[in-house]
Amino acid sequence: MTLARGCCALMAATLLAACDTAQQPVEASTDSEAASAETIELVPVTHAQWSTTLADYQPNIVVVDMWATWCAPCVERFPKMVTLHERYANKGVTIVGMSLEDRDDAGAVAGAADFLVRQRARFPNFLMDENILDSFDKLDILGIPAVDIYDQRGKLRYRLTGDDPNNQFTDADIEEAIVSLLAET
Amino acid sequence: MQQWTKTGAAVALTAWAALAAAGSAVAGEFNKVVSIGDSMPEFTNLPTAGGGQISSADITEDVVVLVSLANHCPWVKGMDADMVKLASSFGGKSVRFVGLSFNHREDDRLPAMKTHAEKAGYPFKYAFDESQELGRALGATRTPEYFVFDSDRKLVYTGALYNSPAKIQSDGSVKYTRGEPTEFFVQDAVMATLAGDAVTLAETKAHGCTVKYQ
Repeated sequence: MTLARGCCALMAATLLAACDTAQQPVEASTDSEAASAETIELVPVTHAQWSTTLADYQPNIVVVDMWATWCAPCVERFPKMVTLHERYANKGVTIVGMSLEDRDDAGAVAGAADFLVRQRARFPNFLMDENILDSFDKLDILGIPAVDIYDQRGKLRYRLTGDDPNNQFTDADIEEAIVSLLAET
Repeated sequence: MQQWTKTGAAVALTAWAALAAAGSAVAGEFNKVVSIGDSMPEFTNLPTAGGGQISSADITEDVVVLVSLANHCPWVKGMDADMVKLASSFGGKSVRFVGLSFNHREDDRLPAMKTHAEKAGYPFKYAFDESQELGRALGATRTPEYFVFDSDRKLVYTGALYNSPAKIQSDGSVKYTRGEPTEFFVQDAVMATLAGDAVTLAETKAHGCTVKYQ
């Protein structure tokens, strides 16, 4: 991934879109809102902090997209998460991005933040602030992309993974799960 | 396990709580398809990066190591050198490594495989499974992911190369994610199998990129 240089590349936790758009074309959105006024944060959280933060989103349905820039299928899927945010944000659904970038790789973290800006990912975005393998262990996932979907009571109802070659999830599966949970209310 | 049916195909939507209540229906501890002791899937005339083809029937060595790879994957690149070193270390022994690529993206297909294998110095055949049938039969979902079979072509080990997977960083350096490896799973499995001993640790988590099935 091409990183935005200058001010953006040095800001691991918070990127101003204004830094990015001066050097990078916006690829993933036709939204005409001025990016210069937009701030998208990539917030480091430990797993313990994440558990607390997750509870704060209740009573919303929470869709957690676990991704990284090194994961090609994750990058391909990401625009769908932006679409889901735009479609369901006002219906009690919170999309959350959880980056499993290596926190010790500053260039990769900056690249992830830059990617979020270019995608206009206007939903909460976190960086797992753990050793990268510990992140997988603590989240209890074997690989990414993986999507966890919590219901309105904060109960994990769906875990969508690519762990079974004969049953890998699709973009449509995410939305079907959301619709199913919304129908329960 | 909750499943949704869509266009006639069973689509995985795992209901987490239901899965926990029902217990795991998986084959291995981590691999969803194969378990230790399963037979090596047969494969026929898979094209290889260096030209020619390879079939399982062509392999006569006592130990077979199949490894799922992907040119584009930073975890594969991070561990290429150690894999090459390991494969080379068995020169003169009855061990056969075969690299396998399953992804359909252009940079994981044959022309790129040839370039990658030459650059990395793969001392073994690197085959493309366009049908993905072998990948599905192995339950291969990560790159790199290893499958070690004995002389009866029974699975004796599957999982990671060692206990500290390495990845190429954004600056091009290689980083072992948990420091220098201290447990060498594939090497130990091959050595034990060659010696006629049981493999002590037969399955580990394969950490890396996810294989995308069509």
